[in-house]
Amino acid sequence: MSYLHTPRLVFTGDFLSDVSTVNNDPAHYNNQTFIPDFQKPGQGSTNGWWNPEGGAIFDFRHCLVKQISFPDGKNTADPAADIAIGQIVMGSEGRPTGKMVDIDPDAQMYSALWCVQITICTADNELLFQGDLETTSFRDIQMRQTDGAPNNGQALGATWTSVLKNITWGAKANQSRFLSLLRNTTQENKLSVNMNAFGYYYAHNDGRFSMGRILGSIGPYFSNEPITFAPTRRMYGVYIPKGRTTYFSTCNFLVEQEARRVTIDLGACLPVVNSIGTIDLGVPLYLAICKSSLSFAPDAKNPACYVPLQELVEIGEVKYVNGNDWISITGGVISFDNIPYERMKLLEDHQLVLVTPVQGQSDRFLVIAREAVDGLVARAEEFVLRIDCHETKKVKFHAYQWGRPLSGATITTKMQPPTPDTPLGPQNPISIIYGNNFPQDGLSYDSSVTTGSDGTAEIFIHGNPIHSPRHYIDGQIYMFDYSLNSVDPAFGTENIIVHLRDEFETIQNPVWGDIQPIMIQYGNLYPIMSRYIATFADPEALIEKKNIFIFAFSRSIEDTMHMPVTRDLSEGKRQTILNWFNNPVVRTDEKSVSHQLTSRHSNPTPSDTPLTDNQRKYKEAVKAKNGSLPAFPAIENLFEN
Amino acid sequence: MEDLYPMLQNAIELEHSTIPPYLTALFSIRPGTSTEARKIVHSIVIEEMMHMTIAANILNAIGGKPQINNPRFVPVYPGPLPMGIAQGLIVGLEKYSLDVVKKVFMEIEEPENPLVLKSVEAPTYATIGQFYLAIQKKIEEIAPYDLPGNKAFQVTSSFFDSALLFPIYTKTDAINAIDIIVEQGEGTSISPVDQDGEIAHYYRFEELVRQRKLIQDDHAPHGYSFTGEPIVYNPADVNPMYPNTKINMLQPGTEEWYNLAHFNKSYFSLLSGLHKTFNGEPAELNNTIGIMYDLKLIAEKLGATPFPGRAGYTIGPSFEFNGQLPV
Repeated sequence: MSYLHTPRLVFTGDFLSDVSTVNNDPAHYNNQTFIPDFQKPGQGSTNGWWNPEGGAIFDFRHCLVKQISFPDGKNTADPAADIAIGQIVMGSEGRPTGKMVDIDPDAQMYSALWCVQITICTADNELLFQGDLETTSFRDIQMRQTDGAPNNGQALGATWTSVLKNITWGAKANQSRFLSLLRNTTQENKLSVNMNAFGYYYAHNDGRFSMGRILGSIGPYFSNEPITFAPTRRMYGVYIPKGRTTYFSTCNFLVEQEARRVTIDLGACLPVVNSIGTIDLGVPLYLAICKSSLSFAPDAKNPACYVPLQELVEIGEVKYVNGNDWISITGGVISFDNIPYERMKLLEDHQLVLVTPVQGQSDRFLVIAREAVDGLVARAEEFVLRIDCHETKKVKFHAYQWGRPLSGATITTKMQPPTPDTPLGPQNPISIIYGNNFPQDGLSYDSSVTTGSDGTAEIFIHGNPIHSPRHYIDGQIYMFDYSLNSVDPAFGTENIIVHLRDEFETIQNPVWGDIQPIMIQYGNLYPIMSRYIATFADPEALIEKKNIFIFAFSRSIEDTMHMPVTRDLSEGKRQTILNWFNNPVVRTDEKSVSHQLTSRHSNPTPSDTPLTDNQRKYKEAVKAKNGSLPAFPAIENLFEN
Repeated sequence: MEDLYPMLQNAIELEHSTIPPYLTALFSIRPGTSTEARKIVHSIVIEEMMHMTIAANILNAIGGKPQINNPRFVPVYPGPLPMGIAQGLIVGLEKYSLDVVKKVFMEIEEPENPLVLKSVEAPTYATIGQFYLAIQKKIEEIAPYDLPGNKAFQVTSSFFDSALLFPIYTKTDAINAIDIIVEQGEGTSISPVDQDGEIAHYYRFEELVRQRKLIQDDHAPHGYSFTGEPIVYNPADVNPMYPNTKINMLQPGTEEWYNLAHFNKSYFSLLSGLHKTFNGEPAELNNTIGIMYDLKLIAEKLGATPFPGRAGYTIGPSFEFNGQLPV
């Protein structure tokens, strides 16, 4: 089961993400070169980017249940049909909101939701249900907005997939046939959830600063299914319009043979013309089965692929409606029902494609997106990991072909080569920025694994001792590529990201000097704390508030009040800080100074070494995500061809 | 004992009603400035929170149910305090100033002020202290020694001295706890400090007005005088929050409106959390502490935000909850 199965509800509205941005720049982590200007808002590395005083709040705004879908294929958006429709979707009540944070400045494509709750209730605050979102990070970041995002500054969208756990059902839920059905269908008291976010505002425009649009779906969950992605088939964008980039880059779809139904989540990828999510596509779109295998991937020279009409078997027209209402009601999730048996049969081992007619030619269609080659999908459950030295963590892979678990599939995991250091220069004026992925023996791992009969396989990643390879940033970021033996050229490999923390043994009786660099760095990076709570460079100021710091530093990582909010401290450092607060000694010993910032590793990669293709794409993607690339100009008539 | 329920509910509401005015003044002081003044207001508001907890603990101890998360609980500012305490003094949400400390905060905490009550049927009390003494007396008269409430509902916290905030299991516990509230607010009849040597709220506010610490002084009447260290306060350290800001003074859909709505949403979340805390889930208190920090951060940012259309002012926290679920 998944968020695309029924019973399913769609909610849409806005989200608030008050992320902090001083920590977007690795050079800002260097205490020696930090200056107060880095805490001021403004573009570029010499200041604090667009929201230096962010507090990492993530919350829902103006979200309502818009539509429900039943197992028999019936959808309704009519509040008279079921009390679930029109109800409020919100976050926590009675405890702080959830948080949205990056794991590290060198890994900014995996913004994670921590401690988010989803509550659905009536306007009179009668609970329908509430659950805790299992921590999950962005996947499938892709281009959404075609207007170049002049008002909001971020044209990309992304997806969070997870489950809601510890569901509490309110008495009122019994009055909803839909919710009763959902409750009876799902397992382990969990629910599948998917949220597609776009239209995020870096800019103080339209009253929407730090808000974006969100399209959510909640469906049943079944035991042993993956959490951070949906066990569905996948399509990848294969058309680059007008020399830009692919649209419809990635989306999930579900094929239900018994129900003779295909359900596709275009809410993840449908191009929108503005930050509010207005649709204005000038062309008809069709879903079809391609009788021949398609492995095309576009590039600048070959931006498009066409398929003859006779190769296509129609599933149906994607009846999107231009404007704001349709996507806001459906979330962009569309089902095709009563598909003829022979077409369902064909779909069992043939690719689904999203096509549009070619103007003036009736015999061929432009392929906007196609299913993964051979229907092969393999994804890692735990793809963002925090590992302390001497600690081992598991990564579970799930492999599928045509949506069914694939046994006997080999999944290869490979650590990327070290990236070079970036020396000081006009483009990097503050501090040397150290590379990633070294020392390469910092992590031990299984590089190859074969899936069992259930299509899953596990590998283990073990943290070996490392000592400040990045000098002023704790630990190291390691990026792994993983894939099945065949890599889909339109999607490429996926990544596992590990933040391996520096070896640091807990100091039982620390003096201020032992924690001073950590606290100063924290105060530098998070002015919301250093300006409003306490001066982190001043031990006396910290001692004055020690009760609240002991409170926050001792919360579990799954507690929304856990400090640090970025959850990037090793257990040794966190415990040392707690030990200091419990018995604060305001002194700096020679010993405490000497063991800081002594890197025992040198980067084996010369600074003029070019990045690999994946690394280069990643670097560009981070810039795009941070809004530090020049905006695309508006593009009109995206698929006019 | 049901007769005591409304009195204790009133006590909870009274203690709470002082918190938004004190917090508004506190949040208006720019972070990192006028530190001494900030510390004094902070110390008082924290004790008001403790008093609110004590009142809720007593209500729970006698079998009542504190009601926190409904619009009737939320005072309208500017307006009188619950039961018209402090002779109907009109209390608003204003930035910190010596004037507001003297004319409002000291009046709230004034030991000798008689109470003017809203309802003619209600018993009348001469002072806040007498209001609590009446509760004490009634408990003495009608409560059994072992109080009937569910012991698991009592709220304590590592943030407070366990000698001040303790579970109320017996009649004696309740009586002792009320003494703490009265003495922290007023001092004793012969001294500005309570039995633990802590300066009462009224005199701590007076320190702010006189801009001098109150210290022991053997030559002075009652043994204390305002001759201690100066309390440095610079009016330029205070953000000019618009008095009694309301959300409807802002244009809906603007960034400023959303930020104030965010504040009010968090305030509602806090009331909901406190309601849970005082109705059988005492461990929830920890979660409410996180929301209190959220409120502080949002309010201080608002306080630095120019008020659109009201030149020279910034936006104040409005502490509004009208019963409509904030979305």
